[in-house]
Amino acid sequence: MSLSAEIMVLLMFLSAIGFLIMGYPVAFTLAGTGLAFALLGSLMGVFDISILTAFPQRIFAIMSSEVLVAVPLFVFMGVMLERSKVAEELLDNMGRAFGSRPGGLAYSVTVVGALLAASTGIVGATVVTMGLLSLPTMLRRGYNIPFSCGTICASGTLGQIIPPSIVLVLLGDQLSVAFQNAQYAMGNYAPDTVSVNDLFAGALLPGLMLVGMYLVYQFGFATLRPQEAPAVPADELISGDRKAFYRQLAGTLFAPLILIVAVLGSILGGLASPTEAASVGAVGAIMLAGYKINPKGAKWIIAGAVSLFGLFLITWFFDLRMQRDVIPTTDWIAIGVALVLSAILAAGILVGVWRTLQERDEDGTPVLASVGRSTVQISSMVFVILVGAAMFSLVFRGFDGDRFIEDFLHNLPGGTVAAMLLVMGVMFLMGFFLDFLEIIFIVVPIVAPILLQMEVAPGVTMSPVWLGVMMGINLQTSFLTPPFGFALFYLRGVAPKEVKTTHIYLGVAPFVAIQVLALVLLWFWPEIATWLPSVLYEK
Amino acid sequence: MLSFIRFVDRLNERIGHAVAWVALAMVLVQFLVVVMRYVFSIGNIAMQESIWYMHGILFMIGAGYTLLHNGHVRVDVVYGEAPPRYKAKVDVFGTLFFLLPVTAATLWLSWDYVINAWKVFEGSTEGSGLPLIFAYKTVIWVFAVLVFLQGLSLLFKAVRFLRGREPGYPVPPRLNGRAEDDPEAVKEEV
Repeated sequence: MSLSAEIMVLLMFLSAIGFLIMGYPVAFTLAGTGLAFALLGSLMGVFDISILTAFPQRIFAIMSSEVLVAVPLFVFMGVMLERSKVAEELLDNMGRAFGSRPGGLAYSVTVVGALLAASTGIVGATVVTMGLLSLPTMLRRGYNIPFSCGTICASGTLGQIIPPSIVLVLLGDQLSVAFQNAQYAMGNYAPDTVSVNDLFAGALLPGLMLVGMYLVYQFGFATLRPQEAPAVPADELISGDRKAFYRQLAGTLFAPLILIVAVLGSILGGLASPTEAASVGAVGAIMLAGYKINPKGAKWIIAGAVSLFGLFLITWFFDLRMQRDVIPTTDWIAIGVALVLSAILAAGILVGVWRTLQERDEDGTPVLASVGRSTVQISSMVFVILVGAAMFSLVFRGFDGDRFIEDFLHNLPGGTVAAMLLVMGVMFLMGFFLDFLEIIFIVVPIVAPILLQMEVAPGVTMSPVWLGVMMGINLQTSFLTPPFGFALFYLRGVAPKEVKTTHIYLGVAPFVAIQVLALVLLWFWPEIATWLPSVLYEK
Repeated sequence: MLSFIRFVDRLNERIGHAVAWVALAMVLVQFLVVVMRYVFSIGNIAMQESIWYMHGILFMIGAGYTLLHNGHVRVDVVYGEAPPRYKAKVDVFGTLFFLLPVTAATLWLSWDYVINAWKVFEGSTEGSGLPLIFAYKTVIWVFAVLVFLQGLSLLFKAVRFLRGREPGYPVPPRLNGRAEDDPEAVKEEV
């Protein structure tokens, strides 16, 4: 590898970051910078331009990846749930349930953040919703301003790390390729695989651990400074019948909880792939939205939901394969019942589709159409960046940049620990300026195969699940860290006037410390991440 | 210039609205596959493949529509708070040096790739899969052309703003065929 190729790689990276900060759409900036350097390098005789002919294959690979199909489905589910105002009702009712104790409103924000994270995983939407709804309430009740802001920002970013999260789907997809490459490079031609399911299972406990740590901090704050997180008189929260309120609370909690159990349960139970579970979640979201439009006359939707549950039970207890030679009578009956249930389910879904088609949003578009359009825009945004990043990394490899990075990481004084710290540090810094997508699509494919070959103990290589969870929490932290964290911008955009930017910065500082503490805990006890997948999937 | 902008904006808007229904179809077909597979143990490769096709169509053919609505994510640190003239200049620069060359290169690089698929009417590697890989690969061309056109529209809008022919920036999608809500256009067309 010649010196000028090394310089070209470095220049390419620096100019990409410079151009990105200028503000042109990321996807085209990445691809354009790559293309320009390819042409430049070819003119200088240090780049073989024919490498670019692999570009269409790369695009086609993105178009035909089974794992990535999960993303538009999860996006559809998230947007549909957002339109059906699940978040609003949850926040309102949880606030009333917890508000009568000091710090109660903060707990409710954290719990709702975790619930929303587990059902949608779209970070911006969560921070904005909670900023619009909870922040004014907390301030009116005399909560400390920085404390309220920090709580909302931190709880809003939980969506990145608590499965099912789009970040984890994309990270898992990249890591599975990286892990395979690492195994090949070490001479293991029948490698284990690591899937998105593994990463989901791995991230669950660390995600819940973070929720717990947030709650402990909030409890400490409310205990030490009760006047800054005051209790709201119970009578103001729940007017009238208490029993009726608890029934209402159970009602609002029920649907999202069922969705979470169905989606997460089927993924972690090893029954379904994330893509399959996402479609169940998306159909559930359509039915829920249809139900909310007019809860009184939603017989078919309720019947459909019950049938779905019935189908699940019947599949569990009976053998419904129809392509068999001999089918016992009991199984025939079960098959008949299953067919009837499927028909009722189909009717329920149709009613949901019909209702979301009839219902119009503010600008007169049918809700279903506008959910579809948002899904197109968000999915396209994600995957066109992946296409752009494919061009960039193709050129990067053409310059032998991967070997350059590998030599560099291997020759660091301090071995694995130093390499890991350096990579995490660089990702953290990049998280200030760039979206998680660019980091996952550019940095992970370059560094992960190298890190995954390194030994954490003699004879033991790094666990891909652990690496993924560390990277996920690291990215989540950088979105929370002043001055450029994305969550802070989202909150800034919707916060009332009396909230100063310094309030937000001050408020998130303790949460950033909690995140770092979580990373340290994971560093010393990697089992927090690796235990659940090892039990569930026996790896 | 303006009639070109109108043509492209309306084209991609219509395509975007059409592709939105593909998202719904994807959800429903995938759900059907799940029910068939887990309840009745019936696998269908062609249906499974149709979901990949819809996925690719969704984000590739919807990319121009997404650009029309400024949906491709930007790094907002500088751009977010910048004055409109800065934004227009960045868009002129980026479109000329990034977007147009990249989409042109995509078309050029994928030329043989798609042509070769057509020559043999490439189908699925699975026996019972969809025999339409050649058509699916053509989506790459559609992507390149639609984004290229929308990029030109963006470029023209930015130039018009810098010349004082648009009141603000970013310029919203131009979807109305009627000229009366656009005084500047009336002048130009007369």
